[in-house]
Amino acid sequence: MCYYYVMRSIGERSTDPALLVLTSLAEGPKHGYAITVDVEHLSGVRLGPGTLYGALSRLESRGLIEALPTEDRRRPYRLTSTGSAALAQELKTLERVARSGLDRLRVAQATP
Amino acid sequence: MNRRLAQLTLWLYPMAFRRRYGEELRALLEDAPPRMLAVLDLLRGAILAHLRPTAAGGTLVDPSDRLRASASGQLACWVAFAAAGFGFYKTTEDEPFAAAGHAHHLLGGTYLAVQGLAVLASAAVILGALPLILVALARARAEPRLRRLISLPPLAVLVFAGLTRVLLLLAHPEPADHTSTVGGIAFIIWSVAGLVCGAVCVVAARAALFAVAVPRWRLLAAYACGTLVTVAMAAITLAAMLYAIALFADASSLAASGNGPFQLVSVGVSLIVQLVVMALTATLAATSTRRGWRAVTLD
Repeated sequence: MCYYYVMRSIGERSTDPALLVLTSLAEGPKHGYAITVDVEHLSGVRLGPGTLYGALSRLESRGLIEALPTEDRRRPYRLTSTGSAALAQELKTLERVARSGLDRLRVAQATP
Repeated sequence: MNRRLAQLTLWLYPMAFRRRYGEELRALLEDAPPRMLAVLDLLRGAILAHLRPTAAGGTLVDPSDRLRASASGQLACWVAFAAAGFGFYKTTEDEPFAAAGHAHHLLGGTYLAVQGLAVLASAAVILGALPLILVALARARAEPRLRRLISLPPLAVLVFAGLTRVLLLLAHPEPADHTSTVGGIAFIIWSVAGLVCGAVCVVAARAALFAVAVPRWRLLAAYACGTLVTVAMAAITLAAMLYAIALFADASSLAASGNGPFQLVSVGVSLIVQLVVMALTATLAATSTRRGWRAVTLD
């Protein structure tokens, strides 16, 4: 039971729509459809339109991303400096957890 | 088909969200034709956007439009609530229920409270709507679209009244007998027609309210009346809940008796369904009222 919840929380964190959108925008400004395609390519997760715009509105209201002028009804978004810092912090945490986990697995497998 | 459904689902989002992201979402649906899962995702997104509104886009809505949205939301909730309330009335109108009300104080008292509060709320609806109707009527002379919009509710009520008359004639000689096949079918058709009539009235009233320039004090008055209606809805739900509890406790044989078309469900089940609808619409009305309050305090 505990294993299930731990795995689910790790899974939720790495596929969190907000984190995926921020990661996609780290490359440069993108509009909704470009973000969907990039996130699917990046993680295999296809964000639904409701999930994508729910994440965009939350990130925008928290000042992590900002909207650029509309281009043919499509509005690109880009990371703000706060958004870049928050993304870097989150990815470092994930990286630390991943590295520690892999190290521990390696030690455990090497021990007879 | 899915794209059309998805476009319609966009209307379920809060107004602030639609104004801020609606056009982009439409463009996204054109770029990536939605599958059924995407439509469901939009539906989920709309519910979450209502439950957890974000600050983004909130300031894009004019406070007067916010008040319009709140007032029309309160009206929509009241119409749905009134439908459930009418069901409550029809379920408990017969002589055995009146006798039980006389024998048990809680039953009689809560029934009286439901009726009194319903009259108060109906009066508040009329009081709030009347100044807006007068403005719309005055402007309608010059605006054909507005004229069409405000003629829709009376037309829907007329059609409904005509249908009621026809169904009563068809169900003759026992129009009140829902156990007969004709009576049961007539009652179901009548109920559906009533809901459609209510929906037409709400949609047309909302569209007319957004189409006409209304002095702010009139909007505030309508919103204040809507707030009173919301409080009355909560009180009616509470009183109806106490009535149902008292009925189960003091007159369980009545609660177990058959009810509705073809006596398919018991009185108890009918009351529970009506209470759920009442509680749901009262909650939605309270949410709409709270958002309107934000517009009042922002201005």
